[in-house]
Amino acid sequence: MVEVDKLKKAVKGELEVLADEKGLSIVRIKNKKLLTKLAWQLKEAFDLLYCISVVDYSPDFELNYIFSNYSNSDLFIIKVNITEKDFAVDSIAGIFNSANWEEREAYDLFGIKFNGHPDLRRILLPEDWPGHPLRKDFKVDDEVRNWTGLDLKF
Amino acid sequence: MEESNEFSYPGLYEVVFMKAEKFINTVLNWGRSNSLWPLTFGTSCCAIEMMTFGATKVDADRLGVLFNGDSPRQSDLILVSGTITKKMARRLLNVYEQMPDPKYVIAVGACNVSGGLYHDSYNTIEGIDRIMPVDAFIPGCPPRPEEFLDAVRVLQKLIKENRSKAQENGRS
Amino acid sequence: MENSIRLNIGPVHPAMHGVLKLILDVKGDTIIKAQTEIGFLHRASEKIAELRYFANYYPIMDKLDYVSALNMEILYASAVEKAANIEIPPRAVYIRTIMAEMQRIMSHLVFIGSFGEDLGNMTGFIWALRERELLMTLVEKISGGRLAPMYICNGGMFYDFPQGIEDDILKALSIIENKVNHEYHAMFTKNQIFLSRTKGVGIITKDMIKKYGITGPIARASGINRDLRKVSPYLAYDKVDFEIPVESDGDTYSRFLVRTLEILESIKIIRQCIKDLPAGPYKTAVPWIIRIPKKDTFIKQESPRGEMGIFLVTDGSDKPYRLKLRSPTFFAIHALEELLVNIKVADAFVIVASVDPVMGEVDR
Repeated sequence: MVEVDKLKKAVKGELEVLADEKGLSIVRIKNKKLLTKLAWQLKEAFDLLYCISVVDYSPDFELNYIFSNYSNSDLFIIKVNITEKDFAVDSIAGIFNSANWEEREAYDLFGIKFNGHPDLRRILLPEDWPGHPLRKDFKVDDEVRNWTGLDLKF
Repeated sequence: MEESNEFSYPGLYEVVFMKAEKFINTVLNWGRSNSLWPLTFGTSCCAIEMMTFGATKVDADRLGVLFNGDSPRQSDLILVSGTITKKMARRLLNVYEQMPDPKYVIAVGACNVSGGLYHDSYNTIEGIDRIMPVDAFIPGCPPRPEEFLDAVRVLQKLIKENRSKAQENGRS
Repeated sequence: MENSIRLNIGPVHPAMHGVLKLILDVKGDTIIKAQTEIGFLHRASEKIAELRYFANYYPIMDKLDYVSALNMEILYASAVEKAANIEIPPRAVYIRTIMAEMQRIMSHLVFIGSFGEDLGNMTGFIWALRERELLMTLVEKISGGRLAPMYICNGGMFYDFPQGIEDDILKALSIIENKVNHEYHAMFTKNQIFLSRTKGVGIITKDMIKKYGITGPIARASGINRDLRKVSPYLAYDKVDFEIPVESDGDTYSRFLVRTLEILESIKIIRQCIKDLPAGPYKTAVPWIIRIPKKDTFIKQESPRGEMGIFLVTDGSDKPYRLKLRSPTFFAIHALEELLVNIKVADAFVIVASVDPVMGEVDR
């Protein structure tokens, strides 16, 4: 597709194309610093951020940014890998406003930091909830299940 | 609805010899059981069936259950319908404590009975009897609207027989 | 802020839909700052998916968007079938289309009812639920369940249509069509009180829709002609003839009108599907425990509230490795923070009701 070629030009070989067929393109960025640059490039063709899905391949985490647009149903998926050592990625909430809450959710359930996010708080769970439950190392044991949550302050 | 209403008006003989306190209690219980004003604490799926319970076909009004604006200060029955999460637990108790005595609780749905579908979830409470006394449980996920009627009948019977949790705990 | 009062509304409030919490700073009767708080119904659906077999996850999908449970089931079934390369027979496709549209009508009727209730129109509430009960009885006849039918399974559905149900559906549809065309117009769209409460209130512009990523009837009420049933047809939607109602004003009245017109379109779709309903098997036999090789699958469908999506990651085992749910009203609730500023408190409830949030899918 046209967009993939354009993006390749913009980020110079840091892009690995996983799929490029009609209606669906999947790319992986090797350098996560290039994400915001890519998002700016993408905004003309894909103006709807569907969702940000985080997958826990411990110790690596894979972020899937799924884009679409309002005029057709083409999908564009950007994969970014981050490691537990450097557990942060640049926020794209300034580019796609709908990423704001999705990033807050990723922070809430996985603990990923988003640099430059306007308001990075937990969204679904209370502020003082211990741990990040959607990680693979969070096990739902009897202690969690029997806890009633009455001691939460928020 | 086969079971008949077991309460009968006290006869003259009984009234004369009944202790005044007992008589007043009986009258009060009769009154209370037939005008249960519910606080509809609907959080999720069961709340939609609770709406059907109040609407036509099932019609809660015929048992004296009037949906009267949902103020905790004027309610004596709380219908906890829908999953209670850990974030919600304190809010539920907060609302419950605002209700005047005697107060009755009906736990609606499998989530509030034992955790139900969400028994292995990290953020739900497995049965609200862990945090508050419950008079009647309605199983089902979600229960049929007719089961709400049944639960109200059970609760009315409990109140008339002085066996509800509020009366057992001396808070009536 | 000076002279302003902070007003906490919800999570338990008679005027609030579900367990949404609004934190409003009001000056007099005007809202100057609005915040929303969600998460009171966060039931960990995404974590539970990693603990269940593929076929055992359907009940949780039911309870996500509990007003339109069948749409959720069909969405999840499509995701699993796409990942596992399961073909479903044409009869199953048509039955799924009929059930999806019946559920859409029921969902919109609940919206009409609760919208009327929030405006103080209790009669509208009772009427809408009365019509919904007609379809509810049919869903019960077909599937055995009411709100959470558990009808769809991998490869088709659990049971075929019972004999003669088509006539019952057509009969119920003609009653509903009649009521929507006549009674609801008298009750809502020709009702002066309703018009003055809703017209020009809570206008969402096209830019705002794109800014917040809102989809579904809310976007269509603001003039964006986008419906996944047309844009990328799934199920049998490319074989039936229907229109997408689009309004251009973007106020609460438009949102009400779009949903009401969608009921009529859904009735049209069901009639055509019943006419063309093919004979044959209703399901492909699929073992209960299936293993799906390592891959990512993304699928999106038009739920009554907007575009619902599933991102399914499998790793060759019998359970999903990760399941991410993209819920449409999650984004619409975000837009409320901008939408509720500089309006009266009484109108805030009308606007929240017109978004038609179901907190089950917002919090997941």
